[in-house]
Amino acid sequence: MRKITVPIGPQHPLLKEPLSMKLEISGERVLGGTLRLGYVHRGIEKLAQQRTYVQNVHLIERICGICSHVHTTTYCSAVEAILGIEIPPRAQYIRALMCELERIHSHLLWLGILAKHVGLDTIFMHAWHDRELVLDIMESISGGRVSHAANEIGGVRFDLDEENETLIRTNISKLHDQVSGVLDVIENEPALQARTRGVAPISTDLIRQYCMVGPIARASGLDVDLRRDDPWPPYDRLDFNVITHPDGDAWARTIVRAEETRESLHLCEAILRDLPGGDVTVRAPRKVPAGEAVTRSEAPRGEVFYYLRSDGSDQPARLKIRTPTLPALSLLPEQLSAINVADIPVVLAGIDLCIACADR
Amino acid sequence: MEKFKKRFSLLSAIIQAWFDKPETVGYPFLPLVLPEGFRGAIVIDPDKCTGCGLCVRDCPAGGLRLEKKSRDEFKLMHHPASCAYCGQCERSCLRGAISHSNALVAATTDARELVVVLKEKQG
Repeated sequence: MRKITVPIGPQHPLLKEPLSMKLEISGERVLGGTLRLGYVHRGIEKLAQQRTYVQNVHLIERICGICSHVHTTTYCSAVEAILGIEIPPRAQYIRALMCELERIHSHLLWLGILAKHVGLDTIFMHAWHDRELVLDIMESISGGRVSHAANEIGGVRFDLDEENETLIRTNISKLHDQVSGVLDVIENEPALQARTRGVAPISTDLIRQYCMVGPIARASGLDVDLRRDDPWPPYDRLDFNVITHPDGDAWARTIVRAEETRESLHLCEAILRDLPGGDVTVRAPRKVPAGEAVTRSEAPRGEVFYYLRSDGSDQPARLKIRTPTLPALSLLPEQLSAINVADIPVVLAGIDLCIACADR
Repeated sequence: MEKFKKRFSLLSAIIQAWFDKPETVGYPFLPLVLPEGFRGAIVIDPDKCTGCGLCVRDCPAGGLRLEKKSRDEFKLMHHPASCAYCGQCERSCLRGAISHSNALVAATTDARELVVVLKEKQG
């Protein structure tokens, strides 16, 4: 059968962010594809070298619109490591709380997108409706739905009062019911299973070969989670399960992310229960002494890596960021080979790409 | 029964949706309730502002401009179209003069119309 090349993107209704793909198609089968990246490259790493450490907190926050808090947490941890300051325990717990809330909202957003791509608009509506409860918490405690500006070098900017804690507890309790309901539906929904089971499976060997991280690695049976493997406080004091699945297909990724959402809800409750008292910030100097630091965090999509080098001024000499989408993009051409054309949206949605993070 | 439940697992959610109220807010025809800590329009207490420029120095987006001739003659302006609403000016101000209110900034077709003179002091 004749081979044809179908270009998808950089602007395409299938994509939420710009990404260009050229797919080789023969009949209904996709034989392979090539990617072109860089459409949302903003030069953030270079820009960070021209701004002060304080200004960079807000610049770093704008790398991603979904996992903005985990980026600033990792950046602030790197600066604090060079400064040699330890943030107060209450600030550590609030940072972790925001990270978990972010994971819940990211996974619910992703679930909605996957459901929309497979034609289950009801699940899309439910997942995004439930996500609003998390965004309400975040807006109420930090002042922003997407850009929370919660972190600063030396701690967090806001403290939780009784009213905030009540709102978080109420919304988390509602989310428990609603997420369980959605999970029940997706576990029993034959249409979703028919569209995702056995689609683009990734073997554990391939996961290791491409250095995949996060829920995609866990959905292929690789038991990795930085919150347990290399924890920053308070994760070393919190008890939680790392969700894995042996299948490695789009269905396994759905189940891993859905179960992780439930686990994060438990973590939020545990953080609120153990929340220590005291200050939420310590004073940090504007100039950072010469030195370098490497920090890592478990973002909703996997490991976020920051390397920071300081030359003793109030601006970084070098800031290098590695996001979890980068290995996922390397594996994408492999995943897009030997699938049906109708499965392209499921493969793309299943990976949960964040092009803005990867391009920076 | 189990088979029926599996086949029609979405049915109860769909029926429930018929009786639920709409989740959207009818803004601007109905008032929009924003949380107290929402980072909206910038406001200033002119009695506290000394024109020191700390807010301008730390602003990451270039949303604040200070035209300063002397300690007694300066003009501090806010450009809402450039502002990132990050709240850094509020954190940097040592006197607590500048802060975010929870009011929304009006939409316009010309960004220059939005520029607000926060404080003008003439010597």
